Amino acid sequence: MTAGAEAGGTAGGAPLLAARGLGWHAGGRRILGPLDLDVARGESLAVVGPNGAGKTTLLRLLAGLLRPSEGEVRLAGRALAGHSRKALARRIAYVPQLRPIRVPLTVEAVVLLGRYPYLRAFQLAPGPRDLEAVAEALRLAEIEHLRRRPVEELSGGERQSVYIAAALAQEAEILVLDEPTTHLDPRHEREVAALLPRLRREAGRTVVTATHDLNFASLTASRIVALKAGVVLAAGRPAELLEPTTLETLFEAPFEVVRGGERPVTLLRLGP
Amino acid sequence: MNDAGPGLGDRSRPRWTLAVLALLWLATLAGAPLLGSHGLDLGRAFEAGTTEATILWQLRLPRVLLALAAGGALAVAGLAFQTLFRNPLAEPYTLGVAGGAALGAVLALHLSAGAVAAGSLPGFTLVAAASFAGALAASALVVGLALRPGGIETGTLLLAGIAVSFSCSALILFLQYLADFTQTYRIVRWMMGGLAVAGYRDVGWVAAWVLAGTALVLALRWDLNLLLTGEELAASRGVDLSRVRLLVLGAASVMVGALVAVTGPIGFVGLIVPHMLRRWAGSDHLFLVPACLLGGGAFLALCDLVARTIMAPAELPVGVLTALLGGPFFLWLLLVRRR
Repeated sequence: MTAGAEAGGTAGGAPLLAARGLGWHAGGRRILGPLDLDVARGESLAVVGPNGAGKTTLLRLLAGLLRPSEGEVRLAGRALAGHSRKALARRIAYVPQLRPIRVPLTVEAVVLLGRYPYLRAFQLAPGPRDLEAVAEALRLAEIEHLRRRPVEELSGGERQSVYIAAALAQEAEILVLDEPTTHLDPRHEREVAALLPRLRREAGRTVVTATHDLNFASLTASRIVALKAGVVLAAGRPAELLEPTTLETLFEAPFEVVRGGERPVTLLRLGP
Repeated sequence: MNDAGPGLGDRSRPRWTLAVLALLWLATLAGAPLLGSHGLDLGRAFEAGTTEATILWQLRLPRVLLALAAGGALAVAGLAFQTLFRNPLAEPYTLGVAGGAALGAVLALHLSAGAVAAGSLPGFTLVAAASFAGALAASALVVGLALRPGGIETGTLLLAGIAVSFSCSALILFLQYLADFTQTYRIVRWMMGGLAVAGYRDVGWVAAWVLAGTALVLALRWDLNLLLTGEELAASRGVDLSRVRLLVLGAASVMVGALVAVTGPIGFVGLIVPHMLRRWAGSDHLFLVPACLLGGGAFLALCDLVARTIMAPAELPVGVLTALLGGPFFLWLLLVRRR
């Protein structure tokens, strides 16, 4: 399942997520689209682009959190609008940008809330299946030692891991992450960067990430989509997409690219 | 893992808190009716036909029961609002729900004036229905004003609540102006919030609605816990935000409407009690909702005990006392939040 997807792209088989003529307007202004985008089962797609390119909007549309103004998103061939909120949450887990919200719950409690789409209103305690999923999520995110700590006492990197773990406990095949490394120092960024490919390999998840950190995208993605002013400028494997001309058009800033096989390193250039 | 149950962190403290609150609640129920401006000879109070028996069984006990139900409802409604709107200052009083209920009740009192006998509120169901309708209309208006495509804007929510409260007060003043002297006195006295009018029938009605509303809030506890992590995250986990908003507003309006019809608006209980209890019961609504029901009830019954003894033989309306406590508490919360 993951082997063929390493090459990325949409060749062969129906895409897991497919956007067709997708667009979003707010206040009479077009924010996104119209665009077409396929996410193949098992791939790790990074959406890169400058501030205001519509990355978050695209992710929210793909996760079914926004209703498209035009076009539609299909999950395994069926429109997202045809799924109930809970049914959708069992298949797509979303990790929003880290916000400075005080959450007065323990790590374990927050991760358990990832089981919401499986819980019933009058269910007094979570079932054994829920506890298993929570334990597995804590293990994958490597935060078992934090389980009893209140989330509001944790560092930014630790909190990000908690929300990723909560999304894992949701046991959805698709994981959508918005700027997962913003505000993180290199050590924590590396932890997240190492976690994403592991999720793909060990847990068979399909991952969609929005980021403006090109090196993070290069490290974690099997395919990169460059978004500018709400439309797709280019798409391809990291080695194809991360080259100076494309990046300069994308960000309107000069870049230097250090070749590193499939995972090139990009540098911002100051001089001409 | 020791005592910790599966999943939600340390649960021994919330459990102890609930046990202590249950004891406090029972002690209030047993003790508060025995205390008051008029000393009770216990022996005579249990003899049929004595003045003491009338005071204990017909006046004080229903009053304490009403306080327990009303205080619990106000605290549970306040808690649900604070979580739903992610704002520590939200409660039925600040969001205009109590104001709307009061306007509905006064309107009903005014229209049915001919049928009103002194000392009691006949047509209880009409007043209660009007009060409930007022509560629901006010909360729908306030939430409608604060609703943006991205969710509820909490700053606008509080301002809209204040605006609705003011408008309701103004309309109540207008109705008072139209009313005759006795009616005006009764409306003014009722607006201060008091528990004196209670008979067992009122208590039964209020208690039934309060239990129904609390059960609904408790059934939403997973949703409310998720809302603590933010609206966007809650929605991505499958929470239907408009449904949860509708259910919480409905539950709160039913409870507040039912009790405002009997007691008049009593402010700040819904603000003070949840904040005090979070410290001990934690933030998991599984424990916090019953804690608020018990703690809010005991709090209001004790406030009422103070209100009816502090100026004996005169009585302070309990709404005046809770407002005297609540105003400074509100300011304190504002200051703490700014830091």
